[in-house]
Amino acid sequence: MAMRRFVLLAALALCAPRPAAAALRVVSSIPTLGSLAKEVGGDRVEVESLGKGYQDPHFVEPKPSLMLVLNKADLLLHVGLELEIGWLPPLVLGSRNPKIQTGELGNLDCSRAIPVLDVPTTKVDRSMGDIHPQGNPHYWLPPSNARIIAGEIAQRLSQIDPAGAATYQKNLAAFNVKVDAAEKKWQPTVKKFRGLKIVTYHKSWTYLSQWLGLQEIGYLEPKPGIPPDPDHLFRLIQAIRAEHVQLLLAEDFYNLNTARLVAQKGGAKLLDLPTDVGAKPEIKDWFILVETILKQLSSNV
Amino acid sequence: MLILLLALIAAPAEAGAPDGGVLPSSQANAKKPGEAADAGEDEEALRRELEKALGKDAAAAAAAGQGQSAPPSPAPPSATGGAAPPPPLLRGAQSFNPDISAILDATGGYQRRPLQFPNGDDPILRGEEGKKAVGFTAQEVEVAFSAIVDPYFRGDVFLTIPNQEGLEVEEAFATTTSLPWNLQIKGGSFRSAFGRQNGQHLHVQDFTRRPLINSAFLGSDGLRGPGVQVSWLSPLPFYLTFSAEAFSIGAPGQPEAGATLAPPVASFGGGEPTDLTYTAEAKAFFPFGDAWSVYFGLNGATGVSPGLFQPTETGVNVLGANRRSYLAGADLYVKWKPPNVATGYNSLAWQTEAIWRHLEDAAGVPGGWDGGLYSQVVLQVARRWFLGLRGDVLGIPTSSSLGQTVRGSASVTFQLSEFARVRGYVEAEHVASGPSVPGVTLAPVVPGDAAAAFLQLEISMGAHGAHAF
Repeated sequence: MAMRRFVLLAALALCAPRPAAAALRVVSSIPTLGSLAKEVGGDRVEVESLGKGYQDPHFVEPKPSLMLVLNKADLLLHVGLELEIGWLPPLVLGSRNPKIQTGELGNLDCSRAIPVLDVPTTKVDRSMGDIHPQGNPHYWLPPSNARIIAGEIAQRLSQIDPAGAATYQKNLAAFNVKVDAAEKKWQPTVKKFRGLKIVTYHKSWTYLSQWLGLQEIGYLEPKPGIPPDPDHLFRLIQAIRAEHVQLLLAEDFYNLNTARLVAQKGGAKLLDLPTDVGAKPEIKDWFILVETILKQLSSNV
Repeated sequence: MLILLLALIAAPAEAGAPDGGVLPSSQANAKKPGEAADAGEDEEALRRELEKALGKDAAAAAAAGQGQSAPPSPAPPSATGGAAPPPPLLRGAQSFNPDISAILDATGGYQRRPLQFPNGDDPILRGEEGKKAVGFTAQEVEVAFSAIVDPYFRGDVFLTIPNQEGLEVEEAFATTTSLPWNLQIKGGSFRSAFGRQNGQHLHVQDFTRRPLINSAFLGSDGLRGPGVQVSWLSPLPFYLTFSAEAFSIGAPGQPEAGATLAPPVASFGGGEPTDLTYTAEAKAFFPFGDAWSVYFGLNGATGVSPGLFQPTETGVNVLGANRRSYLAGADLYVKWKPPNVATGYNSLAWQTEAIWRHLEDAAGVPGGWDGGLYSQVVLQVARRWFLGLRGDVLGIPTSSSLGQTVRGSASVTFQLSEFARVRGYVEAEHVASGPSVPGVTLAPVVPGDAAAAFLQLEISMGAHGAHAF
């Protein structure tokens, strides 16, 4: 019985022609990449994200239900630089979707053209914590990188769906114009931040710091992924006091009890910030995400 | 089987052409977007013509096409939009070496080894079964290699050395990555998908020893061996997979003449060299919100039992050899873990698994049913701390040949990082009744009680592992 059903379904799957007008299914590892794909893809794409904006992208639970999402994907967008190494590979293998396997057109590592920061210059080992040997993967906030990611996505969408290439190029151009306008609008705010001293929870704000000219004095984690110990926090608090650090930045998916204490003892202000689209329901796209971060920074400086 | 395998592997190059490997060769058109639309109507005809022209070389051509198209290709000038060209990238050295990792479980403590149901990856201190021992062991050393082989396969090799004795191939298999129709084939030597814990390696267990039902029904190394697996992901709106496997399981070793105890009746490995062990599994997964998950499995297996080995002064009597065995199992995994740690570092996982086995009648040895189950709870109480409790019962609802045994275990795990953990483990086991066969007198299990307390250090070196849910 099961066999007969299997054969029947297999036959159906074979015969079913792909409807010409059906939207491409784009699945992203983090919602921000999906949001950028929507900007470029417009109505030609449907976007879904495996991780949620309020989740730590290092630690998404590899639920089998996510394989089901990937099973129907035409394009998988991931951050790369081993950000998702702990959870994405078994999902891609388990998806049984030939289109999105490594090396296929439907698998886009969005870090391809990103000028990556924090690339280790000496031999790495895990005494340095859970570091990323290919460089820092938290690159999607600065406008220059958003442009690069959108460009990569547009190129890949055009390859997968040549009939939509003109649309993707048009949308990409429109997106870039929007980014230009946003940058212009943000310019006065951005200027205020230059030289601002900050402390962050995880070393995940490097790209934002580079863009805004922030000066990172230290991190709550003594090493990436390693929980803080009292000695380290003591030294950090002293550094915060000595350097007159105003702000402690942390992603809103962390447990912030320790961060709150450090901020209070050091005389800095703790800002729990979104780093991904969907971190809060109202953060619907990359523009709102960046603007939310800038606003929160601005109102606390 | 081989022909089917080859046919299926080649299939995507032909059947999946619209989205598969042939696309890159049409990329030349994509550079001029205007032309792409015109080409749309002739797409089907063109594809047919190409397939014909390429014939049997289609797969090879597709492979070559993919190799050229994916990551290394520079962006076509029209696709970069308004963005400035990115600066030259300096990236880490590339190599085609597989990902390599080594995992060590170093264990020490006190042990009075149980007489029955040992697992291949249990810690063994110096003592014989039933004797007390204090000391240390390298419970298991595992070396793992994994890599994407080519556009069609992924390869995984896991070599293990349990208790410093002999290199074992725990698993070595290829998994297809490009089959159509939601199919996946695994070939080589691997752990069966029967149940939940059987497929897991030692280092993903939450306890220092595997549950009783593992060695009682599936064998001391679990149900693993050379074989082939075909699995299918159903197109239903929830996660549901079916898998079927065939294994060549070897016969277990016989006890020495003069041994006091008959080892448990094995489920597989008897019969003729042409007798295979077959399994079938269904697994379903249901998420409830972001935090709750339920993973459920139904499993069946059949093989030929080598029978009961009854040691005598001069040799070994084999009772009830070559009976067919039928195994049925069910497993349930319920997990609660909030999507982030903003509200705290707590999680909870409850795992229960039951196996029933029926052995057919044989000359002089009536058949019967054996059953057993375990249930375990693992609670994460702090960022790095996990508490586990497990109860094992063998012989319920009925026992025909394995007897009745109960075991309780507790574990406390301190996870220093993703790559190192220290675990304290205690267990106590009690044999209520030993193995029995109607009409045959077997030696009782003496002593019937065993206990152990271990401290286990587990470290993982090399490539960052990724584990299944």
